[in-house]
Amino acid sequence: MFNSLRMSMGWVHTWMGLVLGFVLMICFFFGALSVFDREIDRWAIPDTRFEPQPMPSFDEVLKPVFEQLKPHPLDMAATAERVIGPLPDPATMKLESVYAYTTHRDPVLRIGGEFGIPNQPKDPADDHLHVHGWATVNPTTGETLSSDALKIGSEWFYPMHFNLHLTWKMLGYWIVGLAALVMLAALVTGVIIHRKLFSEFFTFRPWKHVLRSSLDLHNITGVVALPFHFFFAFTALVIFASNVYLPLSYTMLKSLHDQHEQLEAERTGLPHDKSGVAAQMASVDAMVAEAKRRWAERDMPGEVGYLFIDHLGDENSYVSIYRAGSDRVALVGEGIHFKASTGEVIREQPPRSVVSSINEFLTGLHLQHFEHWMLRWLYVFGGLMGSICIATGFVLFVEKRKAKHAKACSQGSRIVDALAVTTVTGMVMAALGMLVANRLLPVDLVGKGQWEQNIFWSIWALAFLHAAWRSSPVAKARHNPAWRDQSLLIGMLSLAAVVLNWITTGDHLIKTVFTDTYWAVAGVDLSLLATSLIAFYAAAKLRAPVVEQKKTDTALNRNKQVNAYD
Amino acid sequence: MISHTALQTTNRVIAAIFGGYAFTWGLSALGITAMVTLGIDFHEAETGMTLVAFLVFLGLFLWTFASASMLRVWLILAGGAALMSLIASMLQTSLLS
Repeated sequence: MFNSLRMSMGWVHTWMGLVLGFVLMICFFFGALSVFDREIDRWAIPDTRFEPQPMPSFDEVLKPVFEQLKPHPLDMAATAERVIGPLPDPATMKLESVYAYTTHRDPVLRIGGEFGIPNQPKDPADDHLHVHGWATVNPTTGETLSSDALKIGSEWFYPMHFNLHLTWKMLGYWIVGLAALVMLAALVTGVIIHRKLFSEFFTFRPWKHVLRSSLDLHNITGVVALPFHFFFAFTALVIFASNVYLPLSYTMLKSLHDQHEQLEAERTGLPHDKSGVAAQMASVDAMVAEAKRRWAERDMPGEVGYLFIDHLGDENSYVSIYRAGSDRVALVGEGIHFKASTGEVIREQPPRSVVSSINEFLTGLHLQHFEHWMLRWLYVFGGLMGSICIATGFVLFVEKRKAKHAKACSQGSRIVDALAVTTVTGMVMAALGMLVANRLLPVDLVGKGQWEQNIFWSIWALAFLHAAWRSSPVAKARHNPAWRDQSLLIGMLSLAAVVLNWITTGDHLIKTVFTDTYWAVAGVDLSLLATSLIAFYAAAKLRAPVVEQKKTDTALNRNKQVNAYD
Repeated sequence: MISHTALQTTNRVIAAIFGGYAFTWGLSALGITAMVTLGIDFHEAETGMTLVAFLVFLGLFLWTFASASMLRVWLILAGGAALMSLIASMLQTSLLS
């Protein structure tokens, strides 16, 4: 089928890259936005625009909050499908375990818990069944945030980059996983098919024909950030490996895994099961103080990042307190575990083994919860470089073929170009439109978050229809005016978002940068302004006269490297 | 009428994705059970295998497209997957008894 290694690798690069490129574009772009997901949350929920808070007092703030926590209707519905018989009334369900999680960037705190149910699972292997509840708490007041206030950064953009919000049968995770594998393959094959790898570091000829300059840009963004792209695609697979992509311990090796859990519980002294004897809980604040004292003693004073209590209200209940990883790569660690009824230390986690250190370093470097703003911005640029690399890949694909397709009266290039417009500019429009809608919809609108999601999808769908309608010139080997139209719209939408933020909250840039500095909102506004400028500039450049057909043909003939595996 | 080349390409894509996945699955299962047999902690073994698994998958994925014989590709991917899964299951049974 293929005559040479370069041919076969070129085929993988071109075709697998094209098909999964549409997914990769979403992963890279929303992944880049996820670096500042908490900051986007602040922009979208003005009530939470205050400084990040440490983990609040459990005894005074969190305990009453957990007493109010109810099973979440979404998880009620999901669990009802997995069990035999009807679930009991959610008001009567007993809370069995709770958690609270925060980072150095969170003014608000995420909490949640598991409620016990008497039902048997439909699938016997589906044990440990609980109904989950979760909420976001303002730690300064102990009030719960309305679930209608969608955290656009951490609940919409962030999950978009790893599951596309396609949660049915985890389909989104699998599509993104395949895309990550193809990204790795595209990087390796990209290196194989390009002979002059080193010189491509320094080659960018924007004044040349669009095919040549987009190839340069494709190579430069791919090669300069190659370790970055490889690292993110690889760790994406590692992060979800044991739960999603290779769930061996839930399936084939479940018996071995369950036996290990029992042995582990015996070894660590952390009870695996309830005793059945009820017991009171000692002061958790005292346990937190003791944990902090022990961390300081080890010369690593720190804040609590994660707090977990299992077997609530039982004699076997224990409290696990983990240190926030703001000052290093691993997310949380140095767990200290207490017996809940007495407050005595059961176990102090020993230092990590080599394998888990490597794993925590890799996943921590992907999830970046550490405190290093410069590095965060480098992540954003890396993500945008990936986006440019993929977007120019689409342009290359179309530019190389559209003359040929026009001669053969084929719609191939047009379809690809319309899809490229949808996934590049259409996606940005959907994200921006969501932010604009967030500022326009009334704060107390019932189901506000759902409205914002619907608007996001609607704009993306409209962007596709617009691209499909406007891209007919591509089938005649001409430029697609949809790129320019949508660039203009991006420019206008991002400008509108900044102005609307000012009008609806009074937080204009002079205030958020100078007089009452609040970088989370200022950063989002400044990024929106930069987006607006770039989009208007792109729209203006795209107005330039279309290159003649003759020139395109010569460029194609000259460009043997590109055509080698066509 | 689907062309011969299209069928060949589909065969390669299916082998690369599903065959490669099955082989990776079998290798991970075998790796974990073998390491547990040698006295390594279950989660350590699992984590260790996830760090290796996707690099192996990547290699298999590309090899499927580069290989001259698809028969050999399928024999190694499917046969390897079945063999390694079988041994892993046997190791698990012996570990639990």
